[in-house]
Formats: sequence, structure tokens, C-alpha cells
Amino acid sequence: MSERGNIDKGQQEKEEPFYAGQTRVLEMVAANAPLPEILTNLVLLMEAQAEGMLCSILVLTADGMRVRHGAAPSLPEAYVKAVNGAPIGPRNGSCGTAMYLKRPVVVTNVMTDPLWADYRDLAEICGLRACWSTPIFSHQGDVIGSFAMYRQEQRGPNAEEAHLTQIATHIAGIAIERQRVQETLRERDARINLAAESADLAFWVIYPEQNTAWMSDKGRKIYGFDSKLPLTRDLICSRVHPDERAALHAAFDRACASHGIFESEHRLVLPYGKTRWVIVRGRCLEDEHGSLLELIGVTIDVSAQKQSDLQLQIQREELAHLNRVALMGEMTASVAHELNQPLTAIANNAAAARRFLERGNINPALLQQLLQDMVADSQRAGEVIRGIRALVRKDKSVVRSVLNLNAVIADTLRLVSSDVLLRESVVTTEMDHNLPLVEAAPVQIQQVLLNLIMNALDAVEALPPAERRIIVTTRSLSGDSAEVSVRDFGTGLPKDRPQKVFDHFFSTKQTGMGMGLTIVRSIIEMHGGTISAENAPDRGARFFFRLPAARGDSKSQAA
Amino acid sequence: MGDRAICMTSSEKSDAEIVCLVDDDLSVLKSIERLLASDGFSVCAFNKPKEFLTYVQAHAVPLVVLDIWMEEMSGLEVQAQLSALSPQTRVIIITGREDQTAKLAALQSGVIAFFTKPFDDDQFLNAVRGALAMHPIE
Repeated sequence: MSERGNIDKGQQEKEEPFYAGQTRVLEMVAANAPLPEILTNLVLLMEAQAEGMLCSILVLTADGMRVRHGAAPSLPEAYVKAVNGAPIGPRNGSCGTAMYLKRPVVVTNVMTDPLWADYRDLAEICGLRACWSTPIFSHQGDVIGSFAMYRQEQRGPNAEEAHLTQIATHIAGIAIERQRVQETLRERDARINLAAESADLAFWVIYPEQNTAWMSDKGRKIYGFDSKLPLTRDLICSRVHPDERAALHAAFDRACASHGIFESEHRLVLPYGKTRWVIVRGRCLEDEHGSLLELIGVTIDVSAQKQSDLQLQIQREELAHLNRVALMGEMTASVAHELNQPLTAIANNAAAARRFLERGNINPALLQQLLQDMVADSQRAGEVIRGIRALVRKDKSVVRSVLNLNAVIADTLRLVSSDVLLRESVVTTEMDHNLPLVEAAPVQIQQVLLNLIMNALDAVEALPPAERRIIVTTRSLSGDSAEVSVRDFGTGLPKDRPQKVFDHFFSTKQTGMGMGLTIVRSIIEMHGGTISAENAPDRGARFFFRLPAARGDSKSQAA
Repeated sequence: MGDRAICMTSSEKSDAEIVCLVDDDLSVLKSIERLLASDGFSVCAFNKPKEFLTYVQAHAVPLVVLDIWMEEMSGLEVQAQLSALSPQTRVIIITGREDQTAKLAALQSGVIAFFTKPFDDDQFLNAVRGALAMHPIE
């Protein structure tokens, strides 16, 4: 073995533990060990490479103004404490100056060097004489700290020490920078979590390639997932109500295909049977080559809002029901008359049949005719009762179908015909026979018409019988909506603000609750229509409402 | 609803024994007509008040049974015109609605009976019989 080989072998024996030490420190970085621990290990590794050398690492604060203790396991505690928090500057010891100037600062004698003016006494007590400091840079080139070597004798660094410094600053740079990035991420995470918590939001990400998913803690609570359970897209979607699941999958697929956004409102069914209403919004993220990376989204729990909407709807329906019952009370004449007519006919036919039989001269054909008429009249009475019941019953009142408003108007006028007659009023109609069909709940539209017609009858009551006129008109508005107007010839609406009649509790009647027109308006608006009131040019009021044509029944093309 | 002015008269009956009936509800009209027929009356039924008023100008009508609430014109209006056209015609009112004011007005203007539908067949037929019996034939 040659001389050279012996030297190399000695070098190798020395360097192997050093490399192993570097690897250990880098492993600590990769494993996210605490920064002070990593830096302390790094410093100890460096100190082990040279006899009598003490090392320290300082970290620059995020604002770039002051130094913070990083690691200095072998320096006296008093010295470390004094340096921690010191400002950087052109004359601030070796480290403060090196960070400030962004270049290495070699002080061979701290007792005489002007840079050490502020720290000289302390250095003397601690027995430090030389201090060589090198800035640590981030890979963007920003100063993020410094690595220093101290000696108890006055001298500058040799080649080996310079080499060690190079290694130390490189590794410390990686560790500090990584910690900074993680701190930033942690802060961002905390901010997002705070926002999510306070907004009742769930965050989630679906990775289609890996078939995995991530969800925030709040999200797991909303979806009822255990905090440890590994998630997938299918698992997340399995919480969606079966009726709405396919639509959500379709929305995801559409968004994936177009790399766009998605939005869905649906129910979640949790394992213990509880249902939540949620809104899901999100988008697809792509990598720099434009290929799909992930679906990122938020889920908002809107159950409480839904609940109160539902409550409101129930109250509205309750009120509408009361209004229909009240209308029935106002229509007593019609109701009594409509029932009385068939009952009278039945009673008379029965009495006639009995008498014919008593006299023994009945013609079987006549008897048959009589019985047939009795059946027909019973059915007619039944129809009247069914009609009344349909109008006052609660359920089914909101069930919609495709309607011809002209027919609904005719039915409604038949229903109130006796009241019109009794009040010695006349209702005339002007129907547009090309009126588009509308999609509406027949009971509710009848309720609207009844309110408007009964109001109109009240409005003309004080006039002489010959002037008690009401005109019901329908017309098509360029084929895509139907307008119905009810016009009377009474005293008209409040001059300043005719629309006031739609307000709650506004009533000009002695007995009115003042809810009729409010209910009318809410019904029309629920059907996507509008209602308005105005004073007719000569006299009286005109109420008109418009409903959109049923899908596929735009009649603009009709002759 | 077709027009209807049917007189169930047999040849041996004279105008004096015919009861006229006016109601715009066809099934009620038919049923009263049968009730009267079952008791042996001849009936001339109208579902349009104006047709009755035309009829009365050409025929002697001892008795008319008149509904109040009709589309074309009210029974009380018919009665008012009738008192000018045929003052000797007796009037029985039938109405679908309990209405004391109308009843009072009707009775004051010479109506001999007032029935609210549905009514008792015996009471009604008695009133018809009574009205025809009291009628002085001219």
C-alpha cells in the first residue's frame, strides 16, 4: 500500500462518519424534525470535524431586521442570550454584519475589530477571539441566516474550515427554507380552517388518478366520516341521497371533461339516518400541461336555511288555506245554490215517482227516465261537493298541471255565478283563444281568480245595479306568457300608490283580513309570474297577472 | 243547454187548468214539471223567462210557478212585468236561497206562496191546488 493510499485511507476513515452525519441531518430535514434539533445536530457535526472549533447558526427573522437563535450547543448561554434578537447592521458583530452585507465576514480578532465594539466585553468573558461568519441563502438568493465558526485564538479560516462552512451553510439553508415554507403552509392552513369553521364549510379534494380524496375535519363532520377513514370519490358520493347521486356524478364528469366548475344542491343521508341539505361548489385543477390534477371543492351545510324555508312555505300554505276557507264563506250563496238545485231536482223526481206509483199509472219508460235523472243529479251534487273540497283541502293544493286559463276562468265564474246573480252584477269575459297554456296548480289559480272576482264584486256593490260590471280578459303576450285581467267599475285604488293593496293587512273592507291580495301575489310569484294593479283610465280598478307559458307551449307561431 | 218551452197539455184540458213553470235550471224544471204531472196537472214549462212573458200575452195563465234567481232576468222582475201583462195570473215563488227581504217583497206584491228549495211536495202541491181553485175563471 503506497503512501498516497495510506493518506487516502486516513481521509476516508475521517470522512465516512462526516458523510453519515450529513445524511442523518438531511434525513431529519426530510422527516420534518424540529428546526432547532436539526440545526443543533448540524453544528455538533461541524464541531466534530475540527479541534477547538465552536459553531453557531442564527436565523434571520421574516422581516429581515433581527437575528434569532438557531443553534449554538457549545457557546456559553449568556452569550447566546445576548445575541438572540439583536439587529443586523453594518457594524453588528460578524454575523449581524455578514447578514447585512450578504457576504462572509472574517474577524480574526474580536478584541480589536470595530465590528465587535458592542459585543467585545461579552466575547472576552466567554473567551472568544476569532469569529468567521457566512450568510445562509435561500435558493432564491435571499439571506435567511448565518453560520459562524469561533476560535479561542486569533486567526482566519483554513481551507478545510472554509469547505466545512460551505457544507454547513448549504445544509442549514435547506433546513431553514423548508421550515419557512412549512410555516407559511401552516399559517395558510390555519387561516383557511378558520374561514371554513366560521362559514360552516367543508373543504375537499378528489384525486381522480389515484382514486383517493382528502377532506377537512369540518367536512368529515358534515359528511359523517370518521377522522381516520381513507376517502374516495365514490365514498364521498355514497353519502348523497340516492335520488340526487347520479346528477352529482354527472356534474363532476362534466366538470372533469371541460376542466370547468361544478355546482350542485343536494341532500346528504348520514349513516344514522339524519339528512342534511348542502350546496357543493368547486372546480377542476390542471397541471402545467393541462391534464386533470384534482377536483377541489367546498360543501356548505344549508340545512338550517332549508328548514326555515320549509317552515315559511308551510306557513304560506296554511295562510292560503285559511284564505280559501274564508272565500268559501263569502261564496255562501253560490255554494248553497249549487247544492240546492240538484237536491231539489232529486226530491221532486222522487216525490213524483212515488205519486205516479201510488196512482198506479206510471209508464215504465218515464220511471226509468226519472230514476236516471235522480242518479245524474246526485252526481251533480257530488261534483259540487268535490269542487268545494278540492278548494278547501290542504293537500294537493300545490300540485301543478298544464292549464288553459280560459277554462279555469270559466270554471271559476260558474262557481260564483249565484253570488254574481244575487249581487245583481254582471261579469263579462273577453277571452283570447290563442292563449298559451301555463303550468300551474289549478286550485291556486282558482283561488287567485276568486279573490280578484270577489273583490271586484265588493268594489261595484255600492253602484246602481245597471253599472255593476266586471270584465275578465285574457290575452297572449307575444305567445310566451298569458295575461289575465279583472277590471271593475268601482271607486278605484288608492291614488298615490295602487300597489299598496298587495301589502299585508291593507284592507278597505270592514270585515277583510287584508291578506287576500298578499296571498294572491305570493301564489303568482311562486308560479314565476307577476301581478299588478292600476286604476283604469275612466274609473275602477284593473288587476292583471301574467304567467309564463308552459314549456313547449309558446304560441307565437300559432295563427 | 237547449231552449225549452214544453207544454204537457192534454187536449181535454183548457188553459185554465194549466200550470206555467219558469226556472232556468233544466233539471229542476223537469223535476217540478213531473211532480205537477204526477198529481194530474198539465204543465207548460219555460227555462227562459222572456219566452214565458211572450206566452202569457197570447194565453190565459191562471198560475205560474216562478224561480227567483235566473240568469236572464230575476223572478221578481218577471212578476213585475206579469202584473202589467196579466194581472189575474197567480204567482208561486220558488227560490234556492233563504231570503227574508225577497220573501216579504214577493208576498207584498201579491205572490200567494213562497217556497225555498228543496221543498215539501205535499205543501207545494196543496199550494198549487189552492191557487187554481181560488182563481176566478174569466
